Amino acid sequence: MNDRTTRTRAGGTSTTAPPELTVRDVTVRFAGLTALDGVSFTVAPGSVHALIGPNGAGKSTCFNVLSGLCRPDAGAVTLGGTELTRLAPHRIAALGVARTFQNIVTTQGTVADNLMLGRHALTRAGFTASALRLPGARREQREHLARAREIAELTGLGNHFDAPVGLLSYGDRKRVELARALCLEPRVLLLDEPVAGMNAAERARTAEVVAQLRAELGLSVVLVEHDMGLVMRLADEVTVLDFGRPIAHGTPDEVRRDPEVLRAYLGTDATGEDAA
Amino acid sequence: MSDRITALLTHRRATLLVVAVLLCLPPFYLDAFWLRIGLFSMAAAIGAVGLALLSGTAGQLSLGHAFFLAVGAYGYTWLAGDPGPGLPTALAVPLAVLMAGLAGGLFSPVAGRVKGIYLGIATLALVFLGHHVLLTAESVTGGFNGRSVPPLSLGGFTFDSDGGLNVLGVPFGAEERLWFLGLALFALTWFTARGLLRSRPGRALAALRDSETAAAVMGVDVARHRSAAFVVSSMYAGLAGVLLALAFRRVVPDYFGLVLSVDYLAMIVIGGLGSVAGATAGAVFVTALPLLMTRYADQLPLVAAPGSADGAVGPTEAARYLYGAAIVLVLLYAPDGLHGLARRARDRLRRRRTPTTAPDTAVPSPPPPAAAARPKEHTP
Repeated sequence: MNDRTTRTRAGGTSTTAPPELTVRDVTVRFAGLTALDGVSFTVAPGSVHALIGPNGAGKSTCFNVLSGLCRPDAGAVTLGGTELTRLAPHRIAALGVARTFQNIVTTQGTVADNLMLGRHALTRAGFTASALRLPGARREQREHLARAREIAELTGLGNHFDAPVGLLSYGDRKRVELARALCLEPRVLLLDEPVAGMNAAERARTAEVVAQLRAELGLSVVLVEHDMGLVMRLADEVTVLDFGRPIAHGTPDEVRRDPEVLRAYLGTDATGEDAA
Repeated sequence: MSDRITALLTHRRATLLVVAVLLCLPPFYLDAFWLRIGLFSMAAAIGAVGLALLSGTAGQLSLGHAFFLAVGAYGYTWLAGDPGPGLPTALAVPLAVLMAGLAGGLFSPVAGRVKGIYLGIATLALVFLGHHVLLTAESVTGGFNGRSVPPLSLGGFTFDSDGGLNVLGVPFGAEERLWFLGLALFALTWFTARGLLRSRPGRALAALRDSETAAAVMGVDVARHRSAAFVVSSMYAGLAGVLLALAFRRVVPDYFGLVLSVDYLAMIVIGGLGSVAGATAGAVFVTALPLLMTRYADQLPLVAAPGSADGAVGPTEAARYLYGAAIVLVLLYAPDGLHGLARRARDRLRRRRTPTTAPDTAVPSPPPPAAAARPKEHTP
């Protein structure tokens, strides 16, 4: 916790490598349906780990387990030495795990409001201090607003900083989510289909931002994406899920040649390339 | 750029000053009837701002607002009165507000877990419970007949009609004096509530309303913030209760019924959910309307004078019909309430004044909240 506050005071740039994220034998059942069945993988510090699989493979459920929205029936998720599976979502966020959603989930108000929500776990101002507009609370808000603006610039939202989110284009709203997650100064970033529904230019821009983040901030990224081109370009490691079971694991090149993966994506007799 | 900001700041400050001066004038020109309308409006505005924080911002429905108003009103009366500890009245005010907050806190195991309309049902119980206690705990509440409220005394200055105070040739009775107390308390409410809404807790509450999931993964402790919103809202209700008690000079149980809770909901809906200015406008509308209609009943068509029992519509009922109609109109045509209407009018005015702005700086007014997003093609 202390380490985190000092880190953010320093302007949000991380010098220490993020801790290792380990998923061990995670099983989730929804009333008879096994959404995840003994899923295990490890996200190496500072790497991009992609989670792929056909629709309904359990990728989003896996994200929900990682961010604490869904408690697994068995197995454990640990970040460094901390077990995440017993923690409430806001505690996990405070440890530096941020996520985006497959379908955009923003709040009303401006881009700035949304990004400042991302600073929630890093700020302290409570009800009393905010109501009385104490100098400490105002200073904190000013400082964090400046950092939120930086992040908006970084993600290409600089021009829209004070615009209501509801008026932005789909691609921009998707980027607001990414920027909001970044505002948490995450050590692990969970991206659920960050380019779904975007056009080619927007996709390229987002891919660029993710690559840049990883290079500059050294954070670990877990990526769920159907765009295989993006996955192949960004990911260091890929885990493939099918009907909740992990069926393959390895580097993008290994995975795209794996017969099990081809079968899951294209059916039994498939011999083609990947399922982009 | 910085010049423009300073200009804007001084402009805002000047507006504030003008408004403050204007609000200080009525006691010198208006009689007690109008001052009482103002006082009740100010008290209602304080309570409505509290409910706006809870229902408008945090998305939690409460039908128990009347209960917390009662806690404030009776809390002050009991703390400062006899029977009761007989504390100095200046101390009894903040303690009564804290008492209302405490009552909200006691309810927080429910308020923190139950959301939206379900909380509305849960808080319904509070109103009936409160009403029952007010009627039966006679030693504290005075039972059915209620209790008279000791006037507030601040450092030797008493807010009542004694002493023959004259200011600038105008005799200052209880209403005139309380007007300034009401203004001060309302200013405090305005200042704190807007501070809350525009900072970390306010954003967290709005996030809870829009998406609990998003709020939680961004680090917002859901249960804690829900409870806190409830406590804060109760405290504003408590403060409103104190001011109401001082203005009425007598507290009676029947005033703090379910109808009062519904009135407060009407205020925030008419005013526009989640805005301090809107809640204030709604509070003035809902409070002043029945009082004005009672006063001018003889000049209004279809409205009987108060007390006439020949089956005609009395002014209070007529006022209820009117603001019922106002709610329907607001929900149909301006779901973001008076506040939204005012904002759109202002935007239109601004756009007309500056017709050539660069396309990337011209930010259109935000769309009305989600409730407004439903299609309207079926409305005539």
